[in-house]
Amino acid sequence: MTHKLGYQMAGVAIALAVWEIVGRAIGPDLFAPPTVVFPEWIVLLREGQMLRELASSLRQMLVGYGLACLAGIPIGVAMGRSRLADALLHPWLSMFVVTSVASLVPLFILIFGTGFWFRASIVFVAAVWYVMLTVYHGARGIEPRFVDVGRSFGASRWRAFRTILLPALYPYVITAMRIGLVHAIRAMVVAEMFIIVGYGGLIYRAGLSTSTAPLLALLFTLMLVGVIANALLRGGARKVAPWYERRVGTGSPAQG
Amino acid sequence: MNLIRGARGLALTGVSLLLGLALWQWAAHDISRVVFAPPTAVLARLFADTINGVLPLALLYSLATLAIGFLLAVVIAVPLGFAIGRSAKVAAMADPVLNAIYAVPPVAMVPFLIIWFGLFFEARVALVFLMSFFEILVTVAAGARNVEPTLLAVGRSFGAQRTRLVTRVMLPASLPFVFAALRVGLVRAINAMITAELFLAAVNLGAIMKHAAQKFDTAGLLAVIVLLCLVGLVAQAGLKALEARLLPWHVRQ
Repeated sequence: MTHKLGYQMAGVAIALAVWEIVGRAIGPDLFAPPTVVFPEWIVLLREGQMLRELASSLRQMLVGYGLACLAGIPIGVAMGRSRLADALLHPWLSMFVVTSVASLVPLFILIFGTGFWFRASIVFVAAVWYVMLTVYHGARGIEPRFVDVGRSFGASRWRAFRTILLPALYPYVITAMRIGLVHAIRAMVVAEMFIIVGYGGLIYRAGLSTSTAPLLALLFTLMLVGVIANALLRGGARKVAPWYERRVGTGSPAQG
Repeated sequence: MNLIRGARGLALTGVSLLLGLALWQWAAHDISRVVFAPPTAVLARLFADTINGVLPLALLYSLATLAIGFLLAVVIAVPLGFAIGRSAKVAAMADPVLNAIYAVPPVAMVPFLIIWFGLFFEARVALVFLMSFFEILVTVAAGARNVEPTLLAVGRSFGAQRTRLVTRVMLPASLPFVFAALRVGLVRAINAMITAELFLAAVNLGAIMKHAAQKFDTAGLLAVIVLLCLVGLVAQAGLKALEARLLPWHVRQ
């Protein structure tokens, strides 16, 4: 285990060294090296605007993401356990899941304007289909024997659902929430960069400055948000379902 | 039996599509505050703009960008993914770096692309490359890592050398993952294509959308969205058919 940690740290060190060398070679106006970006990041951290914008953007994102989980998880379960729900919803799910979020942005601006609900709803449509799809695959793949055993020991349908299906679903629900979060954060940035508000607007404006250091500092913060949120969800997963890591592994959220 | 089930599935899909379209038509009537085009208007627009050549031509130019960016990503990401997944040490080293890069939304890289490549063709290709590259890399690396150890053990005990083991055992065993990676990557590439056309200089399909948005023409917007969705579905189905031909031993659900 410590062995692996050593390799991981070596990997990060090598990546930073390469970034530093490349950054120094081509200059901060094209690609600022870490030794320039980090002091800039501290400055932005002290100024406070970066964190204020981030907090307000994340608040709106969480509304859309929360609604996506609330809608996507039960519908995904229903699709996974009922043939009829699957047949009726699946064609639309496969269509929506390939639809690009960016292509929806102009339409959503016409419908919702550029306020709170525009951003929340873009995040919602970006995340909900992935949450649904992941939960669906999980619910469909549950060993029928588990349910059969429960039923033959006299469990009612509801009891079988609550005590057998639901715990078996936890790992997939959490995976779905992780995948959904990745898409939610991406959608937040897409929506905000398009109308140049919030954290995405900050990124857009940083792109216009002469040095790439502030831009990279902003991206670094965003990266930290993604990594920390993922770690929190994983930590939560270990609490509610200690069998989680074994079931779904630690692979990256890649699902189409 | 299978035929009956297939026919029933097809019928249910038809019912689902009709129900959804009916719902959309009904909802479009009820939203009076802004005009939200009903499916009949969108289909009419899609048909008209296909006949007069506006949409096909724009799509053709968009697809050229897509093809170049996606092929570049495949050519680089697939071998690199194998290289990372093949060795546990390299994988451990690459993991935190890839996770960190993966956590950054690719659209946030757009300012960079503008600085490096400008606003036009090169920048669009670069965004397509960027958005599909990491998706393919991560999936292929995971696939190469998860090759059944028994397969490798059998190969080794039959005296296969390292290169032979890679080309004859590892490669075929991880081809399903390569296809999974291509499918995910292609959808991402299509998304990247329209993202680039909207976020950089508006051209092709992106320009059509921007004009439609300025005229509050939701039918025009939805026509492009539906077209893109169809392109995504056709691309996925094409890759699935190719996979079934090339990897008949690997049957997917």
